[in-house]
Amino acid sequence: MRIAVCAPQVPFLHGGAEIFADTLVDELRARDHEAELVTVPFKWYPGTRVLDQAFLWRLLDLTESDGRPIDLVVATKFPSYCVRHPNKRVWVLHQFRQAYELDRTDLGQFSEEPADRALRRSVQHLDRIALGEAQRLFATSRNVADRIERSTGLSADVMPHPPQELPYRCEEYGDFVLSVGRLDRAKRNDLLLEAAALDPSLRVVVTGEGPDRERLETIARERGLNGRAEFTGRVDEAELASLYARCLAVYYAPVDEDFGMVPYEAFLSEKPVLTTTDAGGPLEVVADGRTGLVTAPVAAELARAAGRLREHPDEARAYGQAGRELAARVTWGSCLDRLLA
Amino acid sequence: MKISYYSPMPPERSGIADYSAHLVPALRERVDIEVVRRGRTRPARGTDLSLYHVGNNPDAHGWIVEALRRRPGVVVLHDFVLHHLVAGLTIGRRDGHGYLDAMEREGGVVGRLLGHGVLDKRIPPLWESRPEDYHLAGEVLDLATGLILHSHYVKERARAAGYAGPVWRIPHPAWKAPAVEPASIEGSPLIGSFGNVNASKRIPQLLEAFARLRRERPDARLLLVGASSPGFDLERRLQRLGLSDEGIIREAYVEEDRLWSLMAACDVCVNLRAPTMGETSGSVIRQLSLGKPVVVSDVGWFAELPDSVALKVPVDIEETDTLYAALELLARDGRARAAMSASALDLVRREHGLDRTADRYVAALEQAVGGEAVAASVLRDVSRAATDVGIGPGSPEAAELARRLAEVELGR
Repeated sequence: MRIAVCAPQVPFLHGGAEIFADTLVDELRARDHEAELVTVPFKWYPGTRVLDQAFLWRLLDLTESDGRPIDLVVATKFPSYCVRHPNKRVWVLHQFRQAYELDRTDLGQFSEEPADRALRRSVQHLDRIALGEAQRLFATSRNVADRIERSTGLSADVMPHPPQELPYRCEEYGDFVLSVGRLDRAKRNDLLLEAAALDPSLRVVVTGEGPDRERLETIARERGLNGRAEFTGRVDEAELASLYARCLAVYYAPVDEDFGMVPYEAFLSEKPVLTTTDAGGPLEVVADGRTGLVTAPVAAELARAAGRLREHPDEARAYGQAGRELAARVTWGSCLDRLLA
Repeated sequence: MKISYYSPMPPERSGIADYSAHLVPALRERVDIEVVRRGRTRPARGTDLSLYHVGNNPDAHGWIVEALRRRPGVVVLHDFVLHHLVAGLTIGRRDGHGYLDAMEREGGVVGRLLGHGVLDKRIPPLWESRPEDYHLAGEVLDLATGLILHSHYVKERARAAGYAGPVWRIPHPAWKAPAVEPASIEGSPLIGSFGNVNASKRIPQLLEAFARLRRERPDARLLLVGASSPGFDLERRLQRLGLSDEGIIREAYVEEDRLWSLMAACDVCVNLRAPTMGETSGSVIRQLSLGKPVVVSDVGWFAELPDSVALKVPVDIEETDTLYAALELLARDGRARAAMSASALDLVRREHGLDRTADRYVAALEQAVGGEAVAASVLRDVSRAATDVGIGPGSPEAAELARRLAEVELGR
């Protein structure tokens, strides 16, 4: 089949969603499909720019390319699923969360002005139309499926996707907690730093880049975490796999996250995950006392949980190994069978 | 956002008053709502939007239409056919010319002539004899800056009548079924019908079908709850069908608690209607909240109920036969009743939850207040980009852009 994988791009940013789209194309090609990534830059501000940019997808004609039909499009993320195609399948990683649960929070975008309130509703309405057109609708987690159901009334099949290919392994249960991902406020790395401030023996390594880095480094400085909080910036695949292999545990506690590949990557490295009760999607795989520890989003509790794993490495190993069994069941083969059925 | 809310409210006895009494507290948790006192036509100070609940009853809604005339706003259209309302606002106020104008506006010269026939009492009132042909909703649609509706049926009719403004379909909210004891009424099965007893509720057809059922199932009982309409001789019909003994149980108007208790006692509830005014039935919503299997006419909003919760009876020459078959099936098949009951409860949970309804109202109201600015901004950006690359007004490319915008309802 000729398959167009549709995903937006935010120029100069590269995160889990982009890795997912690239890998999906690779996996389709590996199964002898002609697959291509179709992408359009996305800027969601100011004002109605979010709708203008969504409308760009509407103007694309992906029914054929160079005189040959495109059999199928797979859209992944707002606004790429606004694309038109008679055989549109959507595997939703994210809706535009500012229009949903992030509204009226620090991470929101829309003010109380009538035009902004209406704009938020227009995004939701667009979702109802665009997702309603899909021949098949999948969600990357129960959290995402529930939000789609609440906001559009549409029912999506839950289908988690495998994490990126890395040389996953476990070398030790070392002395640091690892945080992986883009540095923005929603990822809540400040909570981990505050936990380290409460426990002088806790060391943290924060990988990734993003707009929140300067603020996080300021917090680390002000809390006197000299040498105990390391910001590596973006690391290559080998270094990332090595950090996973050597850490004690992986911290992953964004606010009501949709899915996140980090827990699966941690599990494939046989590492437990530290998360919080309000983390959303990660809670579907991080079970307290089975594959990690789940605490209230409070620094003192997080510090206690990290301390417990450090004092009981057997526990950390048991959780990590249980996670590995869980992660091993999510394969590209099973996902693509469902996606293309 | 401040909303002036125009609606009949309890203690007025009307389905729309019940609806608003149920909805307003949930809306108050979300937006600043001021319920406008009956008869007052000015909105509250600082109002961003006026919301008018319009139904077909002139006594309940005449003052609301007058307020709408003074200040257009969003209309919650509970009935599509407003002929009775318009007749009350014109003929009922000795304004025959107003009625003729309304008829002409909708039906041209023929409409005006028919209007004369009504005024001269040469033909039966059209709001009784031909309401579907002359809905007389035109003035209200013209004044509405947006419409909130309960059904696809009314949405289609409004569009067919030329309404081009924004429309939001918001399902009728369900009441939480109260913890009442089912009334102690015998009947195996006990079939209930709730509402006015008259021809448009298809009571003659129901009585005939029930009489047939009772010949085979002597323990069956029919519970008729509601006032008999003037001119509808129920007693004579019952005598003719041999139903004047214990087969029929009659109750006239009942208070809310008793209503729930009676519904809870029924095995099956029948809700027939023809012609439909485009209304939603609060009775059906209550019955579904109780998990009751329902039999409905295959018209309007009733036809949109999922097949899993309602047996639908087409209004045709075989109506009585079909109705009998439906009643017989439900009397015989307890598993079918149980499956319909489970589906009804699931439907109410998914579609008719009060919080969900209130959220949808807020979404609609927010769009009504700020949507025009959003649409204008998107149109401005798209047309600027189109002009930059040489796409001019009236060109095929501009038409294509307009089609794409319309598909996703942007720019309106």
